[in-house]
Amino acid sequence: MAMTQMEKEPAQELNANTSYDVYEIFVQASDLDPHVHVGSLLAPSPEWALQLARENFLRRAQAVSVWAVRRGDVHGTPDDPDWFAREFDRKYRDVSGYADNARRWKRFKAQAMHIDDVIADVRKE
Amino acid sequence: MPDARMEEFMARIERGDKIEAHDWMPEDYRLLLLRLIHMHAVSEIMGAYPEKEWVPKAPTLRRKMSLAAKVQDEIGHGQLLLRVAEDLAAPLGRHRVDLMDDVITGRVKFHNVFHMEAPTWADAGIIGWLVDGAAIITQTALLDCSYAPYARVLKRICAEESFHMQHGESIILSLAEGEPWQREMLQEALNRWWEAILFFFGPPVVTDAARRMMEYRIRSRTNEELRQKFLTRYVPRIRAVGLEIPDSALRYDDEAGLWRYTEPDWERLSRMVRDNTGPKSQERISLRRRAHQDQAWVREALLRARAAAAV
Ligand SMILES: [Fe+2]
Ligand SMILES: [Fe+2]
Repeated sequence: MAMTQMEKEPAQELNANTSYDVYEIFVQASDLDPHVHVGSLLAPSPEWALQLARENFLRRAQAVSVWAVRRGDVHGTPDDPDWFAREFDRKYRDVSGYADNARRWKRFKAQAMHIDDVIADVRKE
Repeated sequence: MPDARMEEFMARIERGDKIEAHDWMPEDYRLLLLRLIHMHAVSEIMGAYPEKEWVPKAPTLRRKMSLAAKVQDEIGHGQLLLRVAEDLAAPLGRHRVDLMDDVITGRVKFHNVFHMEAPTWADAGIIGWLVDGAAIITQTALLDCSYAPYARVLKRICAEESFHMQHGESIILSLAEGEPWQREMLQEALNRWWEAILFFFGPPVVTDAARRMMEYRIRSRTNEELRQKFLTRYVPRIRAVGLEIPDSALRYDDEAGLWRYTEPDWERLSRMVRDNTGPKSQERISLRRRAHQDQAWVREALLRARAAAAV
């Protein structure tokens, strides 16, 4: 499977001396969240990329961590919708594929369970 | 002499700060976490074995697809958790291959329920409903863990477990709505699994390691608290579908606000986990060993392909 390199670009040495690099910026909003891609910027070094990311993306939003990744180091999927093709309906993998459980539980005079109830219950004192 | 770093670490924990892999942490914290997450990861992988036995024998195509999807999820959970364990193990000079070899050499344990037989389709149902149900309760109880990489992975895992929950209920409902022989098969499966499921939460005594994990806010609930939550949620539903729980001592003690039950045979079941002497322990470990060995050439070929491409 072929991956595209985001940047089909000029030689690194040339870049280092004459121009800024593109950095992709990932922001983590809280410790329990993943880093999420928010955009990109131009910077002369990773340190500058982080400084500029704060100016560009965190003027309001709160964050606990920022990653700057040089675009050339990002490997993306090919520009091909077939790469994401699904052979058939995948509802059987989702909670929504089991909507009839609730009705079936009712027949037994009991309720279907949902994970959010369990989470709330386990957190409760 | 009080260690300043340790004091600062505990102050962070008490403030509710989250710890990252690259943060300084006491050796004790690292080892407790590693033992917990390593066992969790390996249990996800070994937990796929009893269920995957049923993929070729599932009663309908839809059941086959959903069971295969669930098995795939469990292996995926193992992969996510192994990555978290690896980052903790790396400073100790241990890597993925060591963590996986530990399964084969018996240095790491996996949950008691995955040493058991699943002889009928109803067993696959009971695993999906009650074993996953029990595992969901223990995993949700770790969502607030002080170690952020584990907490983040658990969030993903719990999102997928919400499908496992519906999948398990769906199988149980079909059998419970079915013919007398199907309900009987379900009852027999419950009889086989009940003691093992109670054991799954661990002994009621708060061990020294469990106490330290609570101090470090790795976990915040005792085994017994979680077992009680499980009983409160599941006993009424088990009874609602017409099943009888194979424990005549089981009752809710209104005064104490607690479930009373016959304790599982802690001694016998702990020995089974420790020595891998359950009915299916050795067979599943050797399946794991075979998979590991049979695929060694693939892992090596990929490395050679990379080396060749780099030339
Ligand atoms: Fe899982
Ligand atoms: Fe699961």
